[in-house]
Amino acid sequence: MSEGLNYTFLIDTFFIALSGVPITLLVTIVALLIALPLGFLLALTRINQVPVLNWFSRIYVSFVRGTPIIIQIFIVYASVPLILSLFFEKYNININVYNINPIWYAFIVFSFSTTAILIEVFRSALSTVNKGQLEAAQSVGLSNFQAYRRIVIPQALVVALPNICTATVNLIKATSLGYAMSLQEITLKAKVAANVGYNYVEAYIDIFLVYIILCSLVEYGFKIYEKRLRRYKYVSA
Amino acid sequence: MEKYFDVSYIWSSLPILLPFLKVTFMVAGLSIIFGTFLGLILAVMKLGKNKIAQKTAHFYTTILRCTPSIVLLFLVYYGVPALADNFGLYLHDLNTAVFVVITFTLQFAAIMSEVIRSAFDSIEKGQFEAAVSVGLSPFQAYRRIIFPQALVVALPNFGNGLIALLQEGSLAYTIGLIDIVGKANLIIAANYNTHALEIFIALAIVYWVISILIEKFFGKLEKVFSKGKQTINTN
Repeated sequence: MSEGLNYTFLIDTFFIALSGVPITLLVTIVALLIALPLGFLLALTRINQVPVLNWFSRIYVSFVRGTPIIIQIFIVYASVPLILSLFFEKYNININVYNINPIWYAFIVFSFSTTAILIEVFRSALSTVNKGQLEAAQSVGLSNFQAYRRIVIPQALVVALPNICTATVNLIKATSLGYAMSLQEITLKAKVAANVGYNYVEAYIDIFLVYIILCSLVEYGFKIYEKRLRRYKYVSA
Repeated sequence: MEKYFDVSYIWSSLPILLPFLKVTFMVAGLSIIFGTFLGLILAVMKLGKNKIAQKTAHFYTTILRCTPSIVLLFLVYYGVPALADNFGLYLHDLNTAVFVVITFTLQFAAIMSEVIRSAFDSIEKGQFEAAVSVGLSPFQAYRRIIFPQALVVALPNFGNGLIALLQEGSLAYTIGLIDIVGKANLIIAANYNTHALEIFIALAIVYWVISILIEKFFGKLEKVFSKGKQTINTN
C-alpha cells in the first residue's frame, strides 16, 4: 500500500497547478479593482453618516463578515442564474444562463465579499487621520475632493496598506473555493489531474506550494510598496 | 408549476439544520482548545531568546497564513494517513472529524500565536521591571501584572479568530463531515437539487446570528476585563 510519493507526477502536476495561477490572479485583480473604489466610497458613507447608505453598509459588512465565503458562493451561484433567467425571459434575450462562464460568478462573489472587508479597512484607516488635517486643507483653499486626494488619502493609505495586503492574501486564498463554481483555478486543475491516478497527496502538496509561493510574493510586493509610501510620507512630512 | 423560490423552505429547514450545529461546535471547540495550546507554545518560541525556535515559529505562521484552509484540509485528509502508512499505522478508517480537528488546530494555532505574541508585545517592558522591583517574583509579575493587561489586548483578536475558525470550519463538509453545511447539502440532494437557494439562505442566517452573538459576547467580555485599563478612550 505504501509506495511513497510519485515524484514524476509531483513535478508534472506542479506545472498544471501553476497554469491555474493566471485565472486566480485575474479573479483577484478584478475583485480588487471593483472593491477598492466601492469600499472607499461606502467607507465614506459610514464616516459621514449618510442616512440610508450608512445603514446599508453596516448590514452589508456584518453579513459578509458573519457568513462563510463558501456559503456566499453557494447563494450567488444558486440565485444569480435564477434572476438572470427571469430577466432574459422577460426581455426575450436568447442566452442560456447555464452556459455563462463561471468566472463571472467568481467576479461577483469575490468583489462582493472583498468590498465589505475593504469598507472596514478604509473606515479604520480614515478615522486615524486627524480631522484637523481636512479642516486645514480646506482652510487653505483646497476643494473637498482635492483635500481628500492630496492630504487625507495619502495618510490613510499608509495605515490601510498592511490590512489591504491581508485582504488580498485572504482573497487569493478564498479563490481556492472557486472549485465550487467549477472555476478553472489552481485547486481544481491539480485536483482534476489527480483524479486520474488517485495521486491526491502529491496534487495537494503542489497546490500547497503554489499558494505559498503566490502569497509570499504578494506579501513581499506589498512590503516593498509600503516602504516606498513610508519614505514618501517621511519626506513630505 | 412549483415556485422557483419559496420562503417557507427557509423556515422549515432550520429545525433540521440546527441539531447539526452540535457537530460544528464540537469540532470548533476541540480545535480551539488544542489550537490555543499549540499557539501558546509557538508564542513562547517567538518571544523567547532562542533564534532557531523564533525562526521556526515565524516560518510556521507564514506558511499557515499562506495556505487556503481547503488545501490544508485535504492535505491533512490525504497526507496524514499516507504518512502514517510509512510507520506501519493504518489510519484510513479514522473518523473524518479527527482530520477536521487536526486541520483547524494547526490553523488556529497560527492565529493564536500571533494574537498572544502581539498582546504580550503591547505591554511595556517597564511594567514587568516595575513589578519585579517592588518584590514580586517573575511568576507573580506575569500572573498579576502582565497577564491581565495582555488579556484585554488579546480578547478582540481572539474573538475574531474564533469567528474566522467557525467560518473556515464550514469547509469540513468537503471531506464528508456531516456538520450543519454537510446536512444542508444532504437536504438539497434529497430534494433533487431544487430549492438549494432557500437552504443556503437558512445556513447563512445561522452563521450570521452565531457570528453576531460571538462578537457581542466578546464586546461585553472586553468591557468587563478592561475595567482597570487607563488609556485614552478611542471608541
